[in-house]
Amino acid sequence: MWKEELHGIGERFADAYSLPKDMVVNATLFHIIGKNDIYLENFKGIISYTCHEILIKGYDCKYCICGNCLSIAYYSNEDMKISGQIQEVKIIAGI
Amino acid sequence: MQNKWIRFFKGYLIIRLHGDYVERFFNMCRMHDIYLWNIKKEETDFCCSIAAKDYFETIPLMKKTGTKATVLKKEGVPFYVPFMKKRFLFFISLILCLGMLYAVTDYIWAIEYIGNTQISNDELQNFLVSQNIHYGMKKKSLNCEETEKNLRASFPNITWTSIYYEGTKLFIEIKENEKAEPVMEETQGTNLIATEAGIITSMITRNGIPKVKIGDTIEQGQILVEGCVPIYDEGQNIIDYQVYHSDADISIRTQITYHEKLEKNYPYIQYTGNEQKSIFLEIFGYHMESPVIGGNYQSCERVTKKYQVSLLENLYLPVYYGNICKKEYHLRYLEYSEEEMKNQLNDNFEKFILCLQEKGVQIIEKDVKIEKYNMGMELNANLSVIKQTGKEEAIQGTDKKE
Repeated sequence: MWKEELHGIGERFADAYSLPKDMVVNATLFHIIGKNDIYLENFKGIISYTCHEILIKGYDCKYCICGNCLSIAYYSNEDMKISGQIQEVKIIAGI
Repeated sequence: MQNKWIRFFKGYLIIRLHGDYVERFFNMCRMHDIYLWNIKKEETDFCCSIAAKDYFETIPLMKKTGTKATVLKKEGVPFYVPFMKKRFLFFISLILCLGMLYAVTDYIWAIEYIGNTQISNDELQNFLVSQNIHYGMKKKSLNCEETEKNLRASFPNITWTSIYYEGTKLFIEIKENEKAEPVMEETQGTNLIATEAGIITSMITRNGIPKVKIGDTIEQGQILVEGCVPIYDEGQNIIDYQVYHSDADISIRTQITYHEKLEKNYPYIQYTGNEQKSIFLEIFGYHMESPVIGGNYQSCERVTKKYQVSLLENLYLPVYYGNICKKEYHLRYLEYSEEEMKNQLNDNFEKFILCLQEKGVQIIEKDVKIEKYNMGMELNANLSVIKQTGKEEAIQGTDKKE
């Protein structure tokens, strides 16, 4: 409960001072370009990787990217790029 | 994301990863700032690329995660070094060759003349030599505009010039004034003088004062028509002289002598049929020729075909190559028969007559004698002809009557 409250305060703080929310509340940032490329920032790591599904660990939830022929174009400390035929991006609550 | 050229320059590996916790290995690489790219799943294994220098850093991480790696391919400049070391001379030569090519392109190695019909290539070449423009000169030392001006000044017939270079080739492009008459040098009047001695048979004067009349005998260099025309006042006194360009049609009767000797023995080149072929290479004026089998001929005809090396269309280099063909011959002396000698002398004499007639010379009388002497035969002819005479000569300052 206290985590959700803290999250809510953070969001309100970011709104009040026009700060980027991903920085304030540690949220994962997705840039989806068309249906073939996704850029990810501010995440913890990869949980599992197959051609059809990549499971990413965020700070307070998991993200599942589903599709075909998925590959990781690059994987660095700051960001990563996933390429392939992306069909779905799912958010799985809880860690 | 790193640029692919930087990655290539630094060198990278394409590796295959196998294990139960490869994802964990990826995350640990990320935590240790090890950059991975092109990660692909291939059945149970993973393939990815990693910088060559980072590979050794991943070994403890592999041990920790139980991942096994196989290097599939090594890419990049550092992996070509052993290859380059083995072929050190080849690469040095390549670099030298490129360096020389770069140096050579600073000079002019070919000259082409465009648009000249009246002015010959030799005349233009002589002009360029006088301007210190030659093969092998630096392009920077060429002042095209100045040379264009000088070219127009040297050849009044040229109406337009353009001097430019493309690659290592210099182009001299000109346009000539085809309609205009040859430009005359400005003079203050001319006299007509006799080019040879004779008797005047006809005379039509258009400009100037005639100094001779029909039937007069003239000498070579004698003034026939004078360009200074006196101006008289009412009292018939000369008050001034008007200077003109003399113009007249003057025909004279004169004698022409023709003499030709033909020796009985004449040289004749007899080819033996033996040929020697060789190739040559000329670099910066140094001539290198392939050796020939069979030694040198005593007397031979030498035909050389020479080509200049050019890269692309206009990038000419000071490198020439070609082949030389030597044909052996023996010089023999044969003898003409009397009949052959007569025929040849007559043929030559007829050609001479034809040549005179083409020039507008009328032949009045012919006195031809063919005589034999110990070494051969000779033809002597005296021709009595009517021909045009008169040559313009500028009136000198001292000649003018002031």
